[in-house]
Amino acid sequence: MKRLIGITLGILTAIGGFVDIGDLVANSQAGARFGMRLAWVVVLGVIGICVFAEMAGRVTVTSRRPVFDLIRERLGPRLGLVTLVGGYLVTVLTLGAEIGGVALAIHLATSVHYLLWMPIVAFVLWVALWRVKFETLERMFGLLGLALAVFVIAIFSLDVDWSTLGHELGSRPPDSESWTTYGYFAVALFASAMTPYEVFFFSSGGVEEGWKRSDMITQRANVFIGFPLGGLLALGVMVCSAVVFEPLMVSVDSLGQTVLPVALGLGKLGLAVVLLGVFSATFGAAMETGLSAGYTVAQYFGWEWGKRVAPRQAARFHTVVLVSIVIGAALLLTTINPVQLTEYSLIFSAVVLPLTYLPILVVANDRDYLGDQVNGRIHNTLGVIFLVVILIAAIAAIPLLIATGAGQ
Amino acid sequence: MTNHSSSPSADTPRDASRPGTLWIDFDLLDRQIIDLAGNKLGKVDDIELVTGADGRLTVSDLLVGQSALGRRIGGWVGRCMHGIAERLRPEQDPPPLRIPFEHVTQIDSEITVGLRAELFPTPPLESWLRDKLIGRIPGARDESQ
Repeated sequence: MKRLIGITLGILTAIGGFVDIGDLVANSQAGARFGMRLAWVVVLGVIGICVFAEMAGRVTVTSRRPVFDLIRERLGPRLGLVTLVGGYLVTVLTLGAEIGGVALAIHLATSVHYLLWMPIVAFVLWVALWRVKFETLERMFGLLGLALAVFVIAIFSLDVDWSTLGHELGSRPPDSESWTTYGYFAVALFASAMTPYEVFFFSSGGVEEGWKRSDMITQRANVFIGFPLGGLLALGVMVCSAVVFEPLMVSVDSLGQTVLPVALGLGKLGLAVVLLGVFSATFGAAMETGLSAGYTVAQYFGWEWGKRVAPRQAARFHTVVLVSIVIGAALLLTTINPVQLTEYSLIFSAVVLPLTYLPILVVANDRDYLGDQVNGRIHNTLGVIFLVVILIAAIAAIPLLIATGAGQ
Repeated sequence: MTNHSSSPSADTPRDASRPGTLWIDFDLLDRQIIDLAGNKLGKVDDIELVTGADGRLTVSDLLVGQSALGRRIGGWVGRCMHGIAERLRPEQDPPPLRIPFEHVTQIDSEITVGLRAELFPTPPLESWLRDKLIGRIPGARDESQ
């Protein structure tokens, strides 16, 4: 019974923790401009993250080593350094976007400008990572993030033309859009589901919690039930946006617009719940990205890392976390629109995806490490297919960014 | 992973029929080094080889630290990393942290050294940040979990 509660709690946390600022922005923008035409990308991305998160989990359980630790070992110090620089920059960019998301959620609730909230958010974030028992916080924000389910509930109180939405699935871009903008948003959506920090964080957390083989079931349940249900929330955001904004030809460029459909459908109470959801999802993700920034650097150089040891014993790790939060906050202080920052973080995530996921696939085939848990034929087929997709997204990302002028 | 019975030789390639051999590139370099208690000492940033009496190369030490890594990476990036690492140390032309290979007790997904981490000098960057920044923040000595 206790185990069942543990598994359920883990799944719920995974659902709430799946959605972050990237998913919110990419899904609401894609919904507004393409309706449900890009929904298949979300499904593809969710399957991809499931395939690789399961592999990373297996590697972590059997080798007791987090993913980034293995990247340098398998790619060598030079290519490993390229991955470190790329992965770190993208993680800090994402961290900035998440902090912006938290500040915007409070801004929407209080009407006090988000740039005033931003330093407070950054400070509270740092204190949380410095002091607080992490598992408790992760759980709390994951569960509160479930409030984003109001996006799905709101659909039923909005006036939805299901046959139109159904026809849009998988069809060509509308007349108002070109194939390049279609590709640009497809890459952003794909990257939002497969964000690299998720595997860094997930596997480092697994090492810290000392996952054993018996934890594999819990871990698989989190991935195979939690992530798809989290993806469902992301699709809820897309449907809401498609219903409200697409007919009006309005594009989404603020978080206020993202949550508007819920307010229209469910009123003030819905708005309160959705803001709580956005706040929790982005704050939870900000903690994860902040720690991930520290993990990548410390694990490349072999430094002490993590929350199990006193900060004094992991001074380099904690310095990287602190500096990353400062850089993330400084990015926002340039008064860049946080939604735009999110878009950039997604596109650059897509670029570094192959270097993150290739070593996982390689190590998951290493019999010395994994023994009987080594990748089977199905794992490898799926892994290679997704690696090809990831490679296409990575190559296309920057050209599409330039060609569309960031999706204009 | 291969458990070594004797000191590995550098000139023999990895050979499945000889489980006692190590492939330096594959089994040693860039692996995490931990002490008996699981504390992290660093990565195998480089190794040092000596020529034995029979003319065969054997691994004598594991080298740890950004200066050793910088030298291995090479190019301007490696030089930068090496330069920064050197500057952080108080002494002139300091040697990298050297772990004699005979203290290695297990080569697995990590390399375990049969000595306590306290026996080795604290890396300069770690001790500098500990003294100047992290150690001064309240709560630096508490474990949070």
